[in-house]
Amino acid sequence: MSTTTGTATTPAPAPAGAGPRTPAGAKRALSALGKRLLDRRFLPVLGTVLTLVIMLAIGEARYGGERSFVSVKLFSNLLVDNSYLLVLAVGMTFVILTGGIDLSVGAVVALVGLVIATLLPMGVPLPVVLIAGVLIGSSFGLLIGVMVQHFAIQPFIASLAAMFLARGLCNVVSVQSLAIKDEKFASLASWSLKFGEGRDIWKINLSMIVGLVVLAVGFYILHYTRFGRSVYGIGVGDGGNAITLMGLNSARTQVWVYVISGTCAGIAGILFAFYTKSGFNLTGIGMELDAIAAVVIGGTILTGGGGYVLGTGIGVLVYGLIQVLIAREGLDSWWTKVFIGAVLLAFVILQRAISHKRS
Amino acid sequence: MSNDVLVRDTAAARPATTGRDRLQQVVHHRLFWPVVALVALLLACGVRSPGFLSISVQDGHLFGQIIDILRFSATPLLLALGMALVIATGGIDLSVGAVMAISLAVSLTYLDASSSAGSVSTALVAVMIGLAVAVIFGTFNGFLVSVLGIQPFIATMILMVAGRGIAMLITQGQITTVTSAPFKFIGSGFVLGIPTPVVIAAVVFVLVALLVRKSALGMLLESIGINREASRLAGVPSRNITWFVYILCGLLAGLAGIVYGAPTMAADANNIGLMKEMDAIMCVVLGGTTLAGGKFFLGGTVVGALILSTIERAVVIFHIPSQITPLFKAIVIIAVCVAQSPRLREMIGSVRLPSPAARKTVEEAV
Repeated sequence: MSTTTGTATTPAPAPAGAGPRTPAGAKRALSALGKRLLDRRFLPVLGTVLTLVIMLAIGEARYGGERSFVSVKLFSNLLVDNSYLLVLAVGMTFVILTGGIDLSVGAVVALVGLVIATLLPMGVPLPVVLIAGVLIGSSFGLLIGVMVQHFAIQPFIASLAAMFLARGLCNVVSVQSLAIKDEKFASLASWSLKFGEGRDIWKINLSMIVGLVVLAVGFYILHYTRFGRSVYGIGVGDGGNAITLMGLNSARTQVWVYVISGTCAGIAGILFAFYTKSGFNLTGIGMELDAIAAVVIGGTILTGGGGYVLGTGIGVLVYGLIQVLIAREGLDSWWTKVFIGAVLLAFVILQRAISHKRS
Repeated sequence: MSNDVLVRDTAAARPATTGRDRLQQVVHHRLFWPVVALVALLLACGVRSPGFLSISVQDGHLFGQIIDILRFSATPLLLALGMALVIATGGIDLSVGAVMAISLAVSLTYLDASSSAGSVSTALVAVMIGLAVAVIFGTFNGFLVSVLGIQPFIATMILMVAGRGIAMLITQGQITTVTSAPFKFIGSGFVLGIPTPVVIAAVVFVLVALLVRKSALGMLLESIGINREASRLAGVPSRNITWFVYILCGLLAGLAGIVYGAPTMAADANNIGLMKEMDAIMCVVLGGTTLAGGKFFLGGTVVGALILSTIERAVVIFHIPSQITPLFKAIVIIAVCVAQSPRLREMIGSVRLPSPAARKTVEEAV
């Protein structure tokens, strides 16, 4: 992974002209430079992995006992509980890589859940409902993308406005919690493959598969396609000038990242509905922060241009583990919000320190 | 930006002798459209429900729908005043709703614990503690933004989410309710016949307006919003000023929380101040302050707050389902944002932009 990402994603940090004149010397200097940059670029992700390992160690030490804390079951549970967040965070990674932000995802998740809960009892076929849910997300993404690209509105304002719009629409659909009782939907939500015996039983369910597929697709797009390269290129922060000169389409990319994030929010809305089997207009308040936290903990730089979607995957695991540890400690659930805030803060400050050093 | 200012300066310098010029000036005044919207809303309500515009005096207190509108605009106005200043520096404070909840929770928890909740001094101390906590959180936001250089929406969003958790921890997850006449007075009392919240909001508005417009502070804020680095190089203490603005915004949010929660005296940490950041941002943009920073307009913010509470009242009068209000607010915000965007003005070719000739010279200069 390191070599491919190294060549595919570096937004041309130092042109060859900076090195010595002789080809061999230039080559050596470049490779040395490449190695150093590689280390620096992986620093935040290494921090993430380290955090994960430390948290697993703490968990093992405190709750290990006769059955070990770290197990396939733990990871299976983490993915089952946080698959919606994984999908959100993958979409958010695209946006943050371009130096933007999408604050609307939590509200879109709530809206999609409510729409599913409203449409299914009306007799609309399940596939249509699911596709409609995803498309709701995409259209919100498109709205933000158009505002950001064509009206030059700052991303956080555009997505904040979209968040208000989605919450407003939620209130129009229903202000009560709607249970989803559709049988087909329930069977889809509860489908799973079980492995293991007795108390060590663990499972693979549909949300988990969807989450991992989205992660894989995100990885492929970001690291092996022209579009992915454009995403990293926009993040340099020059308004897409450099990549436009390289012949890549920055305007279209800018709109598409928001459509991707919105689509992911739509998918996450469905997964969240699978998880809770209901729709409620107050779900997902602060979920955008969870997604941003997972991305930032995963080592993606908030100002754009650097980061890895696989890091985001680890970030989601760290987030889920925080919840597990808090629950195991018997603390109130509001501690989760405070903790996530604190962890996010720590990582943001860490990033500032690293980028300060670099400049 | 400089072009824009230049054009307006020359327009102002031209003596407005003819009536048409004067009319043009009124129409092009920043307050014109917001005030027209407000008056139209009020008239529509007045036509629909005839008693709407009347004000009666009972026991020396003013009563009436208009007075209610004024009373309900106090909270959004307090939030929006701080928000306008923060937005002027090119930032945003998403934590105002959470800070409202925290400061109210702290005040009411203190009152709940004290043995003399009914005495004026206890209520005063409770308010002071609530405001002090709000200042602490404002200081925290300001520190993150000005000293550590974290983007404002991330820095304040941490508190927006974590803050509600903190308020929950303060109230132990319960809805704390107390009875204290002096504290309740802040929300539902009358001073010289005028509701206390209105008096508080008016006093705060005057103080803030004097602070920023009678000193250079307002101009320095705008210079930071236009170009932080340039203003720093020009000798503006941009770090300290930015920090101060977030502290002020936190303080006003705390005050808004107390004023908002005082009539019911119930600290519901989950719901107090929920989505209030939207209200504050809406008041600010309705008043003609651009979200991009670099300009602010406190008078317009007052009109914005009045429009907001008039809309909320109009929804009741016109028997529109109240769930639609947030949707309506959101659409207004999006519309105003798009209308404010320079790109759209370029497309339409608005009069405010420099003439094609002037733009050409600028392009040649570049």
